[in-house]
Amino acid sequence: MTAFSQPKGIQKLLYRLGVPVTVAGLVIFVFLPSFFLISFTFTQWPEVYTEVFANPLIGDTNWIEIQKYISLSLRLAVSAVAIDLVFGIPLAYVLARKNFWGKGFLEDITTFTLVIPTSGFGFATLIAWTSIFGVDSIYLIPVINVPFIMLIIHIALTFPYIVKTLKAKLEDLPTLFEQASGTLGASPLTTFRTIILPLTLPAIFSGAVLAFARSLGETGATLVVSSVYTTAPIAVIRWVSQFNFGAAAFLGSLLIIVATAIILPIEFVLQKKGVSSFSFFSTLRIEKKLLKLEDFASRKLPRIRDMVVLLFIILVVILPIIVVLNSVTLSWNSDPDTRKVTESVMYQLFGPSNYFSALLDATFVSFASASIATYIATCIAIPTVFLIKRYRFGRFLRALLRVPLIVPTSALGLSILILWGPEGLNLANPGIWLIILTHIVFSVPVVVEPMLATFEGSDIPLYEGAARTLGATQYNTVESVSLPLLKRGILAGVILSFTRSLGETGATFLVMGSATTIPPLVVNMVESLAVPAALFASTYLIVISFVLIMLFRKVTTR
Amino acid sequence: MPDIKLKNVKKTFDKGRIVAVNNIDLHIRDKEYLTLLGPSGCGKTTTLRMIAGLELPDEGEITIGEKLVSNLPPEYRDIGYVFQEYALFPHMDVWNNVTYGPRVKGWDEKKSNKIGREMLELVRLFERTDAFPSELSGGMRQRVALARALSSGSKLLLLDEPLGALDARIRTDLRYEIRKLVKDLQLTAIHVTHDQAEAMAISDRIAVMRKGKILQVGTPQELYLNPQHIFVANFIGESNFLEGFVTDRTDHKLTVELRGGISVTSSNQNHKKGEKIVVAIRPEVLSIRKGKKSGENSIIGAIEGFRFEGTNVRYEIRLENGDLVVVVRPALIAEWLSVGEKITVAFPFEKSFVFSYPEKGLRTELALE
Repeated sequence: MTAFSQPKGIQKLLYRLGVPVTVAGLVIFVFLPSFFLISFTFTQWPEVYTEVFANPLIGDTNWIEIQKYISLSLRLAVSAVAIDLVFGIPLAYVLARKNFWGKGFLEDITTFTLVIPTSGFGFATLIAWTSIFGVDSIYLIPVINVPFIMLIIHIALTFPYIVKTLKAKLEDLPTLFEQASGTLGASPLTTFRTIILPLTLPAIFSGAVLAFARSLGETGATLVVSSVYTTAPIAVIRWVSQFNFGAAAFLGSLLIIVATAIILPIEFVLQKKGVSSFSFFSTLRIEKKLLKLEDFASRKLPRIRDMVVLLFIILVVILPIIVVLNSVTLSWNSDPDTRKVTESVMYQLFGPSNYFSALLDATFVSFASASIATYIATCIAIPTVFLIKRYRFGRFLRALLRVPLIVPTSALGLSILILWGPEGLNLANPGIWLIILTHIVFSVPVVVEPMLATFEGSDIPLYEGAARTLGATQYNTVESVSLPLLKRGILAGVILSFTRSLGETGATFLVMGSATTIPPLVVNMVESLAVPAALFASTYLIVISFVLIMLFRKVTTR
Repeated sequence: MPDIKLKNVKKTFDKGRIVAVNNIDLHIRDKEYLTLLGPSGCGKTTTLRMIAGLELPDEGEITIGEKLVSNLPPEYRDIGYVFQEYALFPHMDVWNNVTYGPRVKGWDEKKSNKIGREMLELVRLFERTDAFPSELSGGMRQRVALARALSSGSKLLLLDEPLGALDARIRTDLRYEIRKLVKDLQLTAIHVTHDQAEAMAISDRIAVMRKGKILQVGTPQELYLNPQHIFVANFIGESNFLEGFVTDRTDHKLTVELRGGISVTSSNQNHKKGEKIVVAIRPEVLSIRKGKKSGENSIIGAIEGFRFEGTNVRYEIRLENGDLVVVVRPALIAEWLSVGEKITVAFPFEKSFVFSYPEKGLRTELALE
């Protein structure tokens, strides 16, 4: 409450400065990097054109490759989201509406893949599916032509977005409507189709949008299981490492444009209109048959639904964790098959290759950059929430803040590299500061979202009004009423941003220089075939993630 | 046709820690309008929800007609249910809300449309079929909810505090409308409310509930004129309570000594000599005379408060023994007295009810929560 003792003049000045400073922070740290890549592509168009379409050596091969990469990324994202919906919707329903033993654990498991650095989890999945089911990472699913293991990974990493958003919406939706539907004679499945689905469709859509964006930009795990396949974000990284900036920038810009063009219109329509007048009733004849079918299926449904949901979670999340934990203990002192000591976890960690100290260094870089980026992002995010809620341009700002969330991070990293890096303004060399600058970009919206949710759920304007009538100044009100009420949202945002920053791979690869964080280190281990070291690193990340989940749970539950 | 019976029905929440409904028996007759009346938390809504199938009883049996429905989900019970919060589907217009029941039951389109039209005309909302719930006033929403419940074609209508969320005046208008509708359509109706005036105005019979138990079931007149329980005497209408002891009894007369040694007589209702009792008497049967005039069953006091309420005037009077009583007189014939004036209150004790003094104390027994 130190603000109460500050002179009113300073308070007023601080309050006045707040708006321009926040806007400037947002522009410099968030919006400029998000869009710079596109303008770069335009200004350097002649070079980009030669590299992509008219290379003297390979002609337009790069352009053909780009089309292939984007096509694979899109197929992958669409199939992952489709499967997410099939399993995520019943899972969200079960979590929101049922009480059962182990529910807390199931919720933690759905948070788990959001939290864990994806390269570690990617490796776990790869090991699990190759060792148990003998599926090779090269195996391609026919018809959709998507690598199987890659798809499994993307499902695991994206389904929580649908589950979380739908679950939150279902918890807000009074069960009253479902009860009313029941008293009018509708079976549970009919109720689901005609009442629950139309009312939660906006939430399902926005969950699907987040999942789609995540899949489109996913790098860490995808690199680990990519084998011969290349998705668009991976291509960006490869080209940058080959100093092929023109092609990388062009592909990165295309990714930004594709993501924005697909996602923002959906978001905007949903926010503005909702799906309020939507009904899943048909006047067709099949309606009657459908009703009968639903009535019949409703009797058998709960058990089948629970079994399917459980099987899904086990295959996609729990199995990889168990296999990794098991393998790491088996190969602790020597390889379980060959008995070679040189292929043991201990040897690789502390032997000549000394992966343990590399892991420690990477841990330091990861935690330092994640903490600093999260801190700065939070400082920008808190006033941003007030801007969004207080001013007319707030809605526009909110829509704009979706962009860093949906821009594939490797494109973002490239953007930062050519904006702040030696090729651009030369403010920082690749290393920890560039990592921090990159992570701030997506951390701001990540912190803003849960804060906005808290703001909207806690009647803050009412309490602010009450404080003002009691004689508090605007500044006092914010400090003594609004911020404490927002605390939960801020904490949730901080943890989410920290975990996201910790696990980020795509952008970090491009801007880290020699300051390696944990996720790229895991990728390096896999690429240099140091399997036991990668096993250990995965285990290490799994443990860290569970600690973070416990923290998150403590903060978000009342 | 529907004749609803509850036998020894019990429902607990929170793993048995909260007993919401405590082994009640109730028989609702065909074409009867029955109200479950009680303070909040008395178990009335839980009882209704068990009849609807929205809650399942822990123990006991519920039958609708001849059919045992205790564990049947709501969609198989053939009921109409009106929720306190309306529960109109926000994504459907009035027409689709009202015809929802017929459609999910797979009725012919013709039949669905016919009943939808009839019910909307009945609640006088036929011209608003295209409106969404958010565009309607509270009273209109409640009428749509009613039409929706009725159009399922059920002969049993369950109403959970249907008027609770409405403005006072609309509430009183709509209550007569609902009763007329139920009687015209020859339905059986079970209505839950905490408003005793509403219960009196709308019901054929009232079941007064408190703490999961049914205290008394009867017509409004029976409950008012012959309350069997001290809580009912206070909850239906209003009563003054005077504590005392039985000092003498004959076959028809009971002599009671009130606080301060005032001796009065009352009609005998099976109380022993020496028993501690409470005499309940309605404010509207008391009368006031100016000045100090002693006589049998008259007690001297002074006016402590006065309110003009329109139809009635209401006096708060401090008796000479320190008890406070309320006297209500029709405004048009009342002599208007001012605060501080010394008066005599005449107690026609033959119109009083005598109850044994409750074990847990009078306040606890009358408490609404």
